[in-house]
Parts: sequence; structure tokens; C-alpha cells
Amino acid sequence: MIKHLCGTLVLFAMVGCASDPAPIEQLRLTEQALNQARSLGASDLTLAEQKLAAAEAAMKSEHYREARLQAEQAELDARLAEARVLNEKSQQGLAELHRRIARLREQLGALQ
Amino acid sequence: MKPVYLIPALLVALGALSGCATHESQQQQLEDAAMTFQSISEVPQILQDAPKDVMRAGESLERAKRFAGYWGSAEDVIHYAYLSKRYSEIARQHSEQLQNQRRATQLSMELERLRQAVQEARILDMQHQGRWLEDQMVSLAAAETDRGLVMTLGDVLFRAASAELGASANRTLLKVVHFLQLNPKRRIRIEGYTDNRGDAAENLALSKARAQTVGDFMQSLGIDAGRIEVVGYGEQYRVAENASARGRAQNRRVEILFSDEQGRLSSPR
Repeated sequence: MIKHLCGTLVLFAMVGCASDPAPIEQLRLTEQALNQARSLGASDLTLAEQKLAAAEAAMKSEHYREARLQAEQAELDARLAEARVLNEKSQQGLAELHRRIARLREQLGALQ
Repeated sequence: MKPVYLIPALLVALGALSGCATHESQQQQLEDAAMTFQSISEVPQILQDAPKDVMRAGESLERAKRFAGYWGSAEDVIHYAYLSKRYSEIARQHSEQLQNQRRATQLSMELERLRQAVQEARILDMQHQGRWLEDQMVSLAAAETDRGLVMTLGDVLFRAASAELGASANRTLLKVVHFLQLNPKRRIRIEGYTDNRGDAAENLALSKARAQTVGDFMQSLGIDAGRIEVVGYGEQYRVAENASARGRAQNRRVEILFSDEQGRLSSPR
């Protein structure tokens, strides 16, 4: 029993030592990244949202290190989703340009 | 004293536990991240387009490698390897997007050039069509006479004994309007004729009214009134016998006389 208690104490001490201050700024950044990705129409944000939720839960239970890790990953998940959606849009733009050029070439061919 | 002895043993056990369970996946994540980073840092275009993301991918990878040197930091290794991979992927996406944008700029210029080319070709084509229409009028609908080029609109274009245009008239008259638009100097004289049945004065009025209807129609489509003369000749100048129904039908007509290219019309009859 005593052994058990000691072990738990040591574990808490270790977690305590390794843990950072509350990552308030990181959570704000993550939320901002998520909002931005959302406003650009990114669809695959589930991963980022799940991690942000996990980070918020960890914040409540004062597991600040866990909160920071989850929030950092969520931020990059969101930024990647945003980069993907922007890339996709630029590809669609290109496809549209190709279509219009093909149409004009056709018209030109018919006129000559 | 007892607990003091326990601490190192516990630490070792803890380290071993987390180490064993995650060592393999830690190594895997680290290799993945290193490979992804290599694949993007080899591409000069990505380095140029997304230098910050590439740098962050490299820094995170370094951090993951440093943590890999310590026992019990598997979680950190996996975390920074994950971040590194994400930065690498972001750099790739970002660079692709920028390349697409550059390509779009080029294509937009090409599009603009093509649009102008099409416009020029269309104008050429219209001039062509104008000439073609002229040819067609000479060969089909219109006849060269000593008065000039004459196009005859048959009786069928009008409702019986009325100056109202029938639906079939529109197509024919639209061609004439198109021709006049393409030949802005040319003028026309619209002449109405009837057969000899009924009252001569009424026939004269009807012929004038029919010619006027044709003239109004053309004006409504934007042909300047100054380019159009309207005359009614009634029963005069028949082109066939009035004895037969067929001959009378031929006599009931509207003729459009075209001027030469300088706008000179032959004098009225």
C-alpha cells in the first residue's frame, strides 16, 4: 500500500515537473487557426477539432503539458487543412482558366 | 528510509514502461518525419516558396531527434515528429498553391490574348458575312435590274388585304437589316404594289401602307430613317398578268431597291 502511494506521488511529481505553465496563448492561436480554416471552407477539420477539445479538457484538469501538445498539433492540423483548401481552390481556378481557353480556341477555330 | 530506495527503482520502471511501449512507434514517427522533410527540402521551388515552413519543419525534426536521445521522452519525440511532418506538408501545399497562382497569371494573359483574337476574327467574319449576304441577295432574293439591285417581298409576307406583316416576313427583313448594318452607306427605297382588283385609290393607299410597314419595321431595328424612302405605286408597274390568280399574286408585292455603295439610289419611277 505504501509502495503504491509512493509510486503515485512520484508520478505526480514527475508530471508536475515536466508540465509547463497554462498554455493560454497556444490555445488562443489554435482557435484562431481553426476559425480561419473554417472561414475559408476547409472541410477536414475533425482532427483539429478533436484535439482542441482534448486540449481544453486537459486545461480544465490542469494537465497543462497535455493541453499544450494537443493544442500545438491541432493548430498545425488546422493550418494544413487551410493550406489544402487554398491549394484546391487555386487548382479549380486553373481548371476554369483551361476550360475558358479551350472554349475560346474552339471559337477561334470555328471562325477561321 | 524505505521510500528513498524506491524512487530510483520506480523511475527505471516508469522509463522502461513508456520506452518499451512506444520505442518502436517513436522510431517509426521519427523516420517518417525525416523522410517527409527530406522530400520537401530537396525541392528548390518549395524552399523558395515556403522558406519559413521548411525551416520550422527542420527545427521540429531536430527537436524530435534530440528528445530521442533521452529515455522516457517518447511522447515528445512523437509530438515534434508530428509537428515536423505537418510543417513539411504545409510547405508543400503552400508551394503548390503559389505555383498554381503563377500559372493562373500566365493563363489569364493567354486568355486575354485569345479573347482579342476571337474578337478580331469575329469582325473579319462579319465583314465576310456581309459580303456573303450581298452575294446571296444578288443570286437569290434580289435581282439586278436597270434600276439597281431589287429584292422582291412576296404577297405572302402580309396578311390578306392588310398592311400587317406576317411572321414569315421577319426572317427575310432581318437579313436586309443585317445587310444595311454591315453596309452603313447603302440606302433603300421600299416600294409597294398591288393587283388591279378593287378600288384604285384604296389599292394605292394599301401599297403605300405596306411599304411603310416594312420601313417602320426596319427603323424599329435601328436603321436610320434617313436611309429609307417609302413609295406606294398601287396598281402600276405590274410584273404579271392580272387575269389569273397566280399573276395577281405576283403583282401584289413590296420591292426593296438598294442603292449603290455610295448611297445613290436610282430616281423614283
